[in-house]
Amino acid sequence: MHRRTVLVRLIQSIHALMGATLAFVVGGAAVAPSFTRRPSSWRRAADLSGLEDGTPKPVSLRIVRSDGATELIDRRIVYLVRSGDSVRALDSTCTHLGCRTRFNPDLKRIECPCHGGMYDVTGRVIGGPPPSPLQTLPTRIENDRVLVEI
Amino acid sequence: MFARARSLAARSAEWLDSRTGYRALLDSALREPLPRGTGWFFTTGSVITLLVGVQFVTGIGLSMYYLPAPALAHDSVRFIMTVVPLGWLLRGLHFWGASFLVVAAIVHMLRVFMFGSYKAPREITWLSGVLMLLMILGFALSGYLLPWDQKAYWATTVTINVAKSTPLVGEYVADIMRGGPDLGALTLGRWFSAHVFLLPITLVSLIAAHIALMRKHGISGPLHPEPGPATTFFPWHVIKDTVMMAGVFASLVTIAVLFRAPLDEVANPADASYVPRPEWYFLSLFQLLKYFPGPLEPIATMVVPGVVIGFLLLVPFLDRAADRHPFSRSRRAFTAVFVAIGIGVGALTAVGLSDRPRESTVVTNTFDDDAAVAKDIYDTVCFACHKLGGDGGTVGPNLTHVGSRRDYDKLRAIIADPLAAYDESVMPPFEDKLSADQINALARYLASLK
Repeated sequence: MHRRTVLVRLIQSIHALMGATLAFVVGGAAVAPSFTRRPSSWRRAADLSGLEDGTPKPVSLRIVRSDGATELIDRRIVYLVRSGDSVRALDSTCTHLGCRTRFNPDLKRIECPCHGGMYDVTGRVIGGPPPSPLQTLPTRIENDRVLVEI
Repeated sequence: MFARARSLAARSAEWLDSRTGYRALLDSALREPLPRGTGWFFTTGSVITLLVGVQFVTGIGLSMYYLPAPALAHDSVRFIMTVVPLGWLLRGLHFWGASFLVVAAIVHMLRVFMFGSYKAPREITWLSGVLMLLMILGFALSGYLLPWDQKAYWATTVTINVAKSTPLVGEYVADIMRGGPDLGALTLGRWFSAHVFLLPITLVSLIAAHIALMRKHGISGPLHPEPGPATTFFPWHVIKDTVMMAGVFASLVTIAVLFRAPLDEVANPADASYVPRPEWYFLSLFQLLKYFPGPLEPIATMVVPGVVIGFLLLVPFLDRAADRHPFSRSRRAFTAVFVAIGIGVGALTAVGLSDRPRESTVVTNTFDDDAAVAKDIYDTVCFACHKLGGDGGTVGPNLTHVGSRRDYDKLRAIIADPLAAYDESVMPPFEDKLSADQINALARYLASLK
């Protein structure tokens, strides 16, 4: 190989190696935290005796979570729908584009104010653009206390 | 498959060139003729370019996590060091890169001076270089404060007080640097802004001007050019630049891997036991201050640095003879002054390094009674679940600045019986484990942590 070509290849390789090292460190630090997930925990949401059968009750759950270098207290709204001795917990986040839904007690349905998404009291889509039902969260009942995993 | 991809790439490059003319630009950049004999001494500028690039790229990475507020800055740097994957290395490269950059800038200036490269017609190129050296020191100084640790706080306090000694306008300069009557959020905000916006814009502009001027006048080349035709910059000199850059880069990565960038305790203005010391590149000024006490202080803070900078700015206009050799008759005096400055800075730095004050063994009264009681309780009880100033568990919320979120009454209620304050909590009640006085002292102390 020609001497000049060897030099050019060597220059290119060294610069590529330095660039790759920097990209690995900066890119790794920039990208890696994006894929961490918040661990779930069980939260007391309500007393079973305080829930009306078939009527979603919005409850606010307090979550202390890491937020980068800080910690913050977040609040998530969950609908609790009692059905006999069992309770279904529905995340209030619309599955269309993430707006906060609200329960319309007159029409007995959950509505999204952003783009008109509608869900029935079990979280099933009954109208509008949402592609899937409201997310159901795991629940358990201990001594009349309703616990939700969030 | 490969042939089609190569053909597509070639056609794309052709199209791009027809629209931008980038090949001609690249050719003119790479085919710069260099005087024969241009050797390794002329690679120092490329090393600075590399190190500035490293500082920019790592600085962008750090800015994704850094929070420029006194209540959050230290925690965010600790977060970078301990939680962000490779964050310790990212900060290490930036921290040590600053020292490398100062050394590289000094070495480059030394080379330019010794080769007489500042002489006509390159006076403005030299001036832009001197300004860049000052910018690099400005970066180092403004970067100091950002971690908001003890060193940051006290080094900035000293810097602002040094600025105060400026004749006539000192008080105003200090007020502007502080952003208000006290060192705090307003100070950190403006130093952060200077570090990530003002100084980078200025430095990039100066680098662009410096390179454009270098291309306009060509490089000065060796003191005694070798006979023969000029060589082209690429690849005959670029290979030397690349090897030198690779050596420096490998050294920087090695040091960043082997030595963690330090982070002191969070800034504590009440801690009288802390002995502030600057980084090595400001140690000469720090040491000089010791020899000019009281009313003579402006000699160390203003006169001596002013004379040195003045000499550097004026030297191309004073040394007008054509001879470039550093020991030629016309240059001897200038070289002597330059060497004297170098020896002075070096000697002061060496004395400063060895002149370490003994660590204070006197326990100063940094905490009041509440703090002393609270510290005992924290160390034995709260530590397992809560962080305070960077140490402690992560089960419960970080208490470092809890006073900014909760008042005394609320804190007292939570410590006594968390379930009375919250619907759900894993924290046990302490009303039966601590006395009322202890709970009150702890709540008062925590409420004071703003």
